[in-house]
Amino acid sequence: MTDDTFFDPHQRATIAAAMARMIPTDDVPGAAEAGTIDFLDRYLSGPGYVYAAPDGDGFETLTGRRLEAWTRRIAVVRERYVAGVELLDAAARRRGADFVDLGPEAQDQVLREVERPEGREEEADLARSQVTLYGAPVEVALQQTSAEVDLGFLPLLALHTRQGFYADPVYGGNRDHVGWQVIGFPGPASLAEVHQGLYTTIDYFADNRVHPGTED
Amino acid sequence: MTTTRHDRTDVLIIGAGASGATAAKVLTERGLRVVALEKGPWRTKETFSGDELASINRYDLWPDPLLNPRTHRTGADQPATEQLFCPVPQMVGGGTVHWQGWLPRFTEDDFRFHSVVGGVPGASLADWPITYAELEPYYTAVEWAFGVSGQAGANAFESFRSKGYPCPPMPMSRYAEKYHAGASALGWNSFPTPQAALSQPFDGRPATVLSAFAQQHGDPTGTRSSALNVFVPHAVATGRYDLRPDSYVREITVDERGRARGAVYEDAQGTLHEQRADVVVLACGAVETARLMLLSTSARHPHGLANDNDLVGRNVTFHEFSSAVATFDDPVYAWAGGGYVSASSFQFYAHDDDRGFAGGGHMASSGVGIPLPINWTMPDRPAWGAEAKRIDRELFNHSMAASMVVHDLPQHDNRVDLDDTVVDDWGLPVARITLTPHENDLAMGRFLIDRSAEIMEAAGATSVQRVYPERVTGNCSHQHGTTRMGDDPATSVLDRDCRAHTVDNLFVVDGGSFPTGTGANPTLTIMANAWRVADRIADGRDARTTS
Repeated sequence: MTDDTFFDPHQRATIAAAMARMIPTDDVPGAAEAGTIDFLDRYLSGPGYVYAAPDGDGFETLTGRRLEAWTRRIAVVRERYVAGVELLDAAARRRGADFVDLGPEAQDQVLREVERPEGREEEADLARSQVTLYGAPVEVALQQTSAEVDLGFLPLLALHTRQGFYADPVYGGNRDHVGWQVIGFPGPASLAEVHQGLYTTIDYFADNRVHPGTED
Repeated sequence: MTTTRHDRTDVLIIGAGASGATAAKVLTERGLRVVALEKGPWRTKETFSGDELASINRYDLWPDPLLNPRTHRTGADQPATEQLFCPVPQMVGGGTVHWQGWLPRFTEDDFRFHSVVGGVPGASLADWPITYAELEPYYTAVEWAFGVSGQAGANAFESFRSKGYPCPPMPMSRYAEKYHAGASALGWNSFPTPQAALSQPFDGRPATVLSAFAQQHGDPTGTRSSALNVFVPHAVATGRYDLRPDSYVREITVDERGRARGAVYEDAQGTLHEQRADVVVLACGAVETARLMLLSTSARHPHGLANDNDLVGRNVTFHEFSSAVATFDDPVYAWAGGGYVSASSFQFYAHDDDRGFAGGGHMASSGVGIPLPINWTMPDRPAWGAEAKRIDRELFNHSMAASMVVHDLPQHDNRVDLDDTVVDDWGLPVARITLTPHENDLAMGRFLIDRSAEIMEAAGATSVQRVYPERVTGNCSHQHGTTRMGDDPATSVLDRDCRAHTVDNLFVVDGGSFPTGTGANPTLTIMANAWRVADRIADGRDARTTS
């Protein structure tokens, strides 16, 4: 297993705690139950878990330029997380404890502080303006436009928590499809189901599916 | 480094996306030998899956911005920053690999837009040198090759058609049903969006299963029609199509007279090749075609290929896409079928002097953002926390968008050129996009979003948020206008047959040839026009061999 993880135990506990504030647990599961930390820790372990095989059986082996790009990307993102843990702890210790040992409300305060550092509002806004979807979504974006490496720590954390909650379970999060169940998305049982053309959403179409004027 | 030379061919096509594959089909079926160079891979449907993370967030289909950056700025006096601006998959099939395949036709007025609306200050409007009537047979040809699902006559504002659609409309989604209900209550016309997906078996392919993973995903079932699964196989079947994927073209070469001689390209191993041809056809999409022309400098073309009048890259347009986002008490499941099995309206497509701006656009229902869980979003939703989770839970199944395509006006200073600092992973300068929206674009966007909101309100929405486009982000992957066609060589790059005015064996078949971008999804017209141009190229060949 050591090859499939990146964080040391303290980093892992800190990021897991922060993810639990991104999508908190209430009467239904949140990031903690979905295993979003497992999703992220394995992703950061190296370029071996970037693309699941189309039928869900294992992962693709990257080569050439793709391997180069993902190796670079993961290296940048790792650094951002290592620095992020230090930021969280530094802010938490001003409140007298490591981040993991604070209560939920204090953790939220620390996260907001790291997201919008006092006196550096302009800088924080600039970081968010790089991304329309995950920072402060002020518009409906049609597509994912960030390269990850252009995101600050908090937008990255929000993005990866969301990915770990809602991506196909093959990636290590969304355990037992809890993310999908929380919002009522009847996704496929597996990637193989889509791959083989067995997954259909026809039951979610209109009761009368035929357009007026085109009946036989 | 040594360069591998290849035997001369009849036609060399750069790009194997919508336009390049169409041209390849037509040329090879008319007996010409075609070599095609495609920058990206040649993938099969077996490599696609229902994987939102890979397809959308991890650039499995998008160009990876670390390898293929672009830069963007809002004016020549502004710094350009790296941005994944108007990305389109760079692989065999191009944009048709990831599209939902909305295929409306343009209207007769689109081809004479300048004449219809008159001049607009600041805009560089031009009529097309060709008419709807000239293109109509080719629209029909593409629709019937693709098995498009639609309902002839349902769009009250459509121009004449010589034939109906080969497949009936797609099944009615709940979000399309809402849209029709709202439009109908207002007395406005709406119609099932014509779509490149099979509502019934067609040409040996089965009907679509309506997976949720459609828009922006590759299709593992082969039931959504694309250049990859229709035109490429047609061309391959002739035995005259030599398609070389993973081939990065560095330069179009010219002979001593300034005619196109061929291309120098790099294969996946980094080996250089030269391919010569009688005719060279550019089909890289409006942005990358302009970039390649500007990269191809020579003594006869010191400012780039066919760029004597400094027009290559200019007058670019991008179709900003935005929405009125509505919520309903009853579920609308706006992800079903991929979130874009839709209803459309051309009620406000035609120009109307009384509105105070020129032109109009295609309006249609759709999912919210990317309608699948990871990338689903709502305007103003916080990025994280209890409130973000609450909104996800309450609205994922209850939200939809009434969207519109902005018919943005061409402007001389809106352009694609070469960035002076940023290079791609192959070491060549990337496309730099300089773009300021015209006030007409913004006014049209506000108007169409307001009408869209009215449709949602008339359909019984419990809330509607208007998301007015305030800038151009290239968010719908439509690009046109960098090498506009026209009869006057002083004001255009290509002639009416999309042949460069100053290089008589060079053609451009992608959306770069469009003098105006229109207000409708362009790919059907891009393919119809590529078919027409390929016919002209083959006609020319026939004329020479029989004379």
